[in-house]
Amino acid sequence: MPQLYKSIKPFFLRFASMPLAIVLLMVLAIASMIGTVLLQNQEQADYLTQFGPVWYWVFRGLGLFDMYHAWWFIGLLGFLMTSLSFCLWHNVPRMLKEMRSRKVMLTGHSWKRMQHTHEITLPGSKVEEVAGKVEKLTGWQWLTYQEEGFTYLRGDRGRYHKWGYILVHSALLVVLVGGWMSVQFGFRGNMAVPEGGMESRISYVKGTGTESLNMPFEVRCNSFEISFFPTGAPKEFRSNLTIIDQGEEVLTSDIIVNEPLYYKGVRIYQASFGDGGSKVGLKLFRLDGSKRIDIAKGEVYKTYTDAESGISMEITDFKPFNVENMAAPGQPKKFQDIGPAVDFILRGPGLKPVKVRSFMNPFIVNGQNQGSLMMVSMSGDNRDFQSFYLGPDLTNPEEWELFHAFGKKASKAADGDGIEAFKAAISEVYGDKAPDDFQDLGIRTLQGMEALTNIPWPFVPLLDDYDQVYYTGLQLARDPGMNVVWSGSALLVIGLCIMLYVSHRKIWLVIEAREKGVRIRVAGLANRNPIAFDREFNDLLRELNDNLGLSHQGESA
Amino acid sequence: MTTIALPGFFGGIQQGRIAHTRFWTYIGFLSGAAALAYFGDSGYDEDAFLLRFLSMQGVIWGGAGALLGLGLSFIMSKSGQRSSSFAENTVPWFDGLLLMTLLMALFTLLEPHAALISYEDQSNLISGRIVMAMNLLFLFSAVCYIMYLFAPESFIGKMATMAAWGGVYAGGTSLLLRWYESYLFLDGDIGHAPVSNLYEVFILLFCITSSIYLAFERRYQAKALGAFVMVLVSAGIFFGIWLDSIGQADIKPLVPALQSYWMKIHVPLNFVGYGAFAVACAAGMAWLFRERLERKGSAAMLKIFPSLDQLDQLAYKSVAIGFPAFTLATILGAAWAAEAWGGYWSWDPKETWALIVWLFYGAYLHVRISHGWSGKTLAVWAVVGFLVTVFCFVGVNMYLSGLHSYGRLA
Ligand code: HEM
Repeated sequence: MPQLYKSIKPFFLRFASMPLAIVLLMVLAIASMIGTVLLQNQEQADYLTQFGPVWYWVFRGLGLFDMYHAWWFIGLLGFLMTSLSFCLWHNVPRMLKEMRSRKVMLTGHSWKRMQHTHEITLPGSKVEEVAGKVEKLTGWQWLTYQEEGFTYLRGDRGRYHKWGYILVHSALLVVLVGGWMSVQFGFRGNMAVPEGGMESRISYVKGTGTESLNMPFEVRCNSFEISFFPTGAPKEFRSNLTIIDQGEEVLTSDIIVNEPLYYKGVRIYQASFGDGGSKVGLKLFRLDGSKRIDIAKGEVYKTYTDAESGISMEITDFKPFNVENMAAPGQPKKFQDIGPAVDFILRGPGLKPVKVRSFMNPFIVNGQNQGSLMMVSMSGDNRDFQSFYLGPDLTNPEEWELFHAFGKKASKAADGDGIEAFKAAISEVYGDKAPDDFQDLGIRTLQGMEALTNIPWPFVPLLDDYDQVYYTGLQLARDPGMNVVWSGSALLVIGLCIMLYVSHRKIWLVIEAREKGVRIRVAGLANRNPIAFDREFNDLLRELNDNLGLSHQGESA
Repeated sequence: MTTIALPGFFGGIQQGRIAHTRFWTYIGFLSGAAALAYFGDSGYDEDAFLLRFLSMQGVIWGGAGALLGLGLSFIMSKSGQRSSSFAENTVPWFDGLLLMTLLMALFTLLEPHAALISYEDQSNLISGRIVMAMNLLFLFSAVCYIMYLFAPESFIGKMATMAAWGGVYAGGTSLLLRWYESYLFLDGDIGHAPVSNLYEVFILLFCITSSIYLAFERRYQAKALGAFVMVLVSAGIFFGIWLDSIGQADIKPLVPALQSYWMKIHVPLNFVGYGAFAVACAAGMAWLFRERLERKGSAAMLKIFPSLDQLDQLAYKSVAIGFPAFTLATILGAAWAAEAWGGYWSWDPKETWALIVWLFYGAYLHVRISHGWSGKTLAVWAVVGFLVTVFCFVGVNMYLSGLHSYGRLA
């Protein structure tokens, strides 16, 4: 055994050495940077297009797309654990011994190492009396020893300083073990539950793919609500959930972000939300001059096909609120909710597919009706939506009438006689009672002649009614290592405070009998923070003086 | 390094019995406030807690706590525990906070009429003007500290210190005032602590950095360091002005993930770490500067410069403040993440960079005590460490994406 120990000792010491610790810490730091620059856990196809085939396979081989779980990164952490263990193994016994062994006697040689020395002469006192008084000074742990007419006293403060080292380094081991337990025995994944629906599987990303896991219970989402700040920013996401365990409803509770639910060791978090298949009704305003309005009933995530024209609408999303900043750039912000809207991708024979956002309400700014509104994105990307004003307010059947009446009259009237035609159209639709916003109506109708006649589709689809259903995006996690990590963290912080703020301070007194009284020599040493120790040493001297009832003599060095 | 005894009245009230009594009164007040949060009428309420503080209820609970603390201090002083260096060291910070709070209360009286304040146009709020004053004070202080290097005998050094203190108080007051102001529109719906965006935490950073330095200045003769600290702060000031100019200074509602008491603990503590690292960086720069000076030789300036050893000590002291604070802040951040996102560690870029910073300063502490590494390595380490830190709290928001994206710039 000793033989074996001797042969591995050099390795052992290398593992426990300080330069290795420094190198390890720096290598870990630099390695960690990689994963923050290279986005982790993206689609493999995206990586392939980003880096090209050669680099893609190199990076993939190195596990860089999921690098915090790559073998070499885990290996580094293992290396750190090994190093920490060895360095504890190497240092702890030594430190414990050092804390226990307190040399009372001072040799002439050690006097030279002292930060402070001081000499006091006390006429007419006895050694025992002085030593007894010194031992009564509070705040120091005293130890005495007598030899050859000398009495030695030693006082310690912060003797537990080395515990700081032990705590910090073993706490790191604890934290790393806790982290390993989390990965090994825990899970974390997502599930989407539509309102009224139930789910028991979570899915999570692992390596380059997605995996799923069955929970020992089911989660039902009874309702999901969002509340908004007046600015339109979301204020709170709230899900009402029921846990169903083996067919029995065991627990019903609300969760919001930052306030998860806890059941059977699994925490359930509010993570996201989305449309859970809202039912939407659209009005299709036929543009063949027939004035017909058809109703299309659809559902988010489904496709509605108009039998008459063969045009299909793949409904992708629905939102009941659409708050936009309506101010011109540079002006103070002015938020306005333009109301419910449905998104769909419109495809049809001979048509370029486009994404459409269709609103339910006309667009009203400062009380002025600007008519019905749609947004169209030619690229299909939400960022490319462009507003498209249709002209008439199509929620108002009379304006739809007026649009047609005007169209008919204007085509008959001579060029440039639009006003006459409009007046005629008005009286046809409204009779004698011309509406108050006559002027705006005119502008809208004219714009309609421009906009509606240029639409490449045979109808205008506008949102008419809806029955909203959300899904709530939950994250479920079990983490058996968490409490281990917290314990380690607490030890770490306590240890750091001890290590960095507590210094081990030692005081020695040598008391000897002289012809006329006693001579006291005082020495002090601290292993860190010399400035604070200066003060402490002087305080001690003052206290000594007070207690022994004498005036200050001798000199401090 | 020599310790300077505090002279006069201000020194007197920071010591012994008076400090002791005050310390316990403060602790009592804080306990009262905590008790209000736990046992008060409706407990801790995220959005309206500050307002409740300013109400009768807050006064009663806080006041009762303070009285109890005061009583306790008398009882304890009978048993001989009259002076403690811990109390003496902490009391000035409490005093400063109290003074800032009083200043803030004063300024609330000057707020314009409610009709002139709206969410859309926040330019009438007073805090913006106080931030301007803070900017000017810090910039002025930086100029004075630099001039002090060339004219150490003149009154400029005093002015530098005073301007820096002024800046700290202006900054702290403006932040507290912002907290109050966040309740002034939209029916107080979006009120929240002023540590929610980059602009606000920058102000916090200036104040923490400066006050850590000023505490050093008061204790140790290290005034030459001020030039380096304040230059760093000034660089930050220009960044803050730029943030303001692109509309990042507005008070905005909090996204749901940030609506947590953890934010009020995690963020300020993090910035104690960042601020301390900034001071360490300044000490490192001063070290490198002095080393040059010794070679090139300018005796007059050398005389007022702390020695290389002292600068090294100061850098270490800053890291010794920053490292545990940063460690704790990161742990609390992990605790928050565990509560909000379902996992204490997600390798999100911000988290990972916090780890990188932590490893960097951990290595610094080891470099210090390992043999054969000189002061120069340490000085460079402190400077580079701060560059890493800056990337962690600004760069990550600007260049990398992740869960901490609340800090993203437009
Ligand atoms: C993340 C990892 C680590 C952290 C945060 C850490 C932290 C610390 C701190 C704060 C100190 C005190 C420095 C001072 O007194 O100013 C220290 C000292 C020390 N560390 Fe570490 N450490 C880590 C890893 C390691 C490793 C891996 C080793 C060994 C291979 C090691 C060996 C030592 C030794 C020998 C000391 C000196 C103790 C003494 O004599 O007072 N550390 N460490």
